[in-house]
Amino acid sequence: MALLSKAEKSYIQSSLLSDPPLRADGRALTDFRTIALETGVAPLANGSARVSIGRNAPDGGGGTEVVAAVKLEVEAIGEGEGVDGGRISCSVSCSPTAYPHLSSGALDDLQHDMTSVLHSTLGHSSLRPNNLGILPGKKAWLLNLDIVVFADAGNVYDTIFMAARAALWDTKVPRTRSVEYRAKKLDSIDSESKAMDVDGANQDQGKSVLDTRETTKATDFELPDYWDEGEVLGGREAWPVCVTLNLLPSLHFLDASLQEESSVPLRLHTMFSFPPTAAPCLQTFRLIGPGVTNSTHIQSLMKDGEKYARNIWSALESKLKDEDIRRNQKAREKFICR
Amino acid sequence: MGSRVEILNDGGFRSDGRRQYELRDISIDFSLQGTADGSVTIHHGLTQVLVSVFGPREAKSRAQTIHDRANINVEVNIAAFSTGERRKRSRGDKRILELASTIKSTFEPAIQTHLYPRSQIDVFIQILQLDGGLLPACINGTTLALAAAGIPLFDFVCAITGGVHSASPMLDLTTLEENDIPHITVAMMPKTERVTLVTMETRLHVDRFEEIFGLAVDAGKVIHKEMKLAVQARTSSLVSSLGVGSKPEGDRGMAMELDDS
Repeated sequence: MALLSKAEKSYIQSSLLSDPPLRADGRALTDFRTIALETGVAPLANGSARVSIGRNAPDGGGGTEVVAAVKLEVEAIGEGEGVDGGRISCSVSCSPTAYPHLSSGALDDLQHDMTSVLHSTLGHSSLRPNNLGILPGKKAWLLNLDIVVFADAGNVYDTIFMAARAALWDTKVPRTRSVEYRAKKLDSIDSESKAMDVDGANQDQGKSVLDTRETTKATDFELPDYWDEGEVLGGREAWPVCVTLNLLPSLHFLDASLQEESSVPLRLHTMFSFPPTAAPCLQTFRLIGPGVTNSTHIQSLMKDGEKYARNIWSALESKLKDEDIRRNQKAREKFICR
Repeated sequence: MGSRVEILNDGGFRSDGRRQYELRDISIDFSLQGTADGSVTIHHGLTQVLVSVFGPREAKSRAQTIHDRANINVEVNIAAFSTGERRKRSRGDKRILELASTIKSTFEPAIQTHLYPRSQIDVFIQILQLDGGLLPACINGTTLALAAAGIPLFDFVCAITGGVHSASPMLDLTTLEENDIPHITVAMMPKTERVTLVTMETRLHVDRFEEIFGLAVDAGKVIHKEMKLAVQARTSSLVSSLGVGSKPEGDRGMAMELDDS
C-alpha cells in the first residue's frame, strides 16, 4: 500500500513481465524472503509466536513483523456467546508504526478487515480443537488469539497466518478435572466437611451440596497442574497456512514487497489446511483488487496455491518442531549443565 | 491472591529478591521497526515497551499544526496479552489517552520544538508486557527513540517510580508493589536537574514525599548513565559502519574530507 507513481508501477510491472522476470531484490517469482520465527515470546500468554519476513540481519530493521498470542479464558455456556465445546475469537490490531500514512479511522478499518478474514478462517467449526470443553453444557475455554502487526513491508496476510499457526501450535491448555459434590448422610457430614476444608477445592461447597440433590453431574472443575504443563491443542496440525498469489495477466508471484503489492491489480488469498489423515482442505479463498481474471485461470492458480501452501506448511512444521525441542529439551539440558 | 505477599521482609528483601533501592535491569535495543525514523525496544524488568518515532514531518491535518513550533503527537497501544488478565483496550480508552497526554506534556519542555515550526513529531508506543513502571518505561523509551531519530533535545528525560512501605522508601516498583503501596513517578532531566513530571495517584504522607522525591531524582541519574551508554554504543557502531563497504576510487577523496571536518 505504498504510494507509487504511474511510472514506478509500470516499471515494476514490465520488469516482472520481462523474460526472465526481474524483481527489485533479485528473487525468483516464487521465492520468499527470509522468514524468522520464534515461539514463546509472551510469557503471560498460553501460547505465542513472533514471525518476521524479510528482516535484514545486520541491524534487525525492515521487514514485516507480527506477534501472535493466545490467551485462554473460562467461559460459562448459556450466558453471552459461550458455546458447548469452546470457541475461538481472533483479533488483529495494527501498530500505527506499520502504517504511518494512515489516519486512525483508516487504521481501524484495516484492522477490521484483517480480523474478519482471520476470524472467519480460524473460527470455523471444522478447525475447532477437541479439548476446549471443560464441563459439558456448563463451562468451556474461550480461546483468544490476539495479533499485533508491528511493521508491514508487504505480504502481511501470509505473515499473520504463520504467526497465528505458530502461536496456536505453541498453546498449552491446562488440564482440568471435574469435581462433583455429593450430599452425604447427616451423620457423615461432619467428617466430610473437614475433608473438604483440607482440599480447599471450592468456596461454594455449601451450595453445591444442596445442588447435587437434583443432579448428579459434575458442577465444577479444578486444575490438577500448573498452567504451563497442560496439553497441546487437539488437531494442531490442521491449522491453515495462507498463500497470497499476486496476479498480473499471464503470471503470478509470491511474497510481494510493498511496492510490488501496490502495482498488481489482483491478489488471491488462499488458506489451505493439511490434516494428517484427510485430504488437503481449502479453508478460505479471497480475490481482492480491481482487476478481473477468468475461471479456468483460477483453477490452475488453485493447484499452484496448494503446492506453495504445502511447501510453507512443511517448512513451518519442521521449524515448529525445532522450536519445541529448543524450548523444552534443550532448555532442560542447559539448566542441568549450569 | 492466595496468601498475602510481603512487600518488604525482615531481611530487607522485596518480593522479587531486590533490596529497597535496587533497580531492575534495563536492556535497550535500537533495531528499526518498519519505516520509523528512530525506534527502540526497552525492557525494564518484565515490562517491555516498543517506541517508534516519525518526524519531524508534515502534519496529516492542517488543524494540528502550530505556527511557531512542532506539534508532538503521542499514541499508546497496549497489547491485549500484556497483562495476566486479558483485556483489550480500544484507542479511545480514557486510561490510554491520559497516559499519552502525560507523556506529551513531559516531552514538551525537553524537545527543541521551536526548530521545526508547522511540523509534527509522531511518537507511537506499543506496550508488550506490563509489570509495573509503565509510565517510566514509556518515557525512557521515548527519550531514546527521539535520540535515535536525531531529534534535537535539550536533555535526556529519565523517569522512575518510587514508593514507601510503612516507613521505608523503595524504588522501581513492580505491579505487585504498585497495587499495594503509595507511589510517585518522577521524570527528570539529569544535566539541568530539572523535573518535568511528578505524578501520584495514591495518597502519600507529606513528610515522606521529600525523601522519595530525592531518591527518585538520584535514581534518575543512574538510569541516565545506562541510557547514555546505550546511545553511545549505538552511535559508535554507526560511526564504525560508516567506513565499511567498498567505495569507488574517485569517491575516496571526498570521504577523507568528510572525516576531517
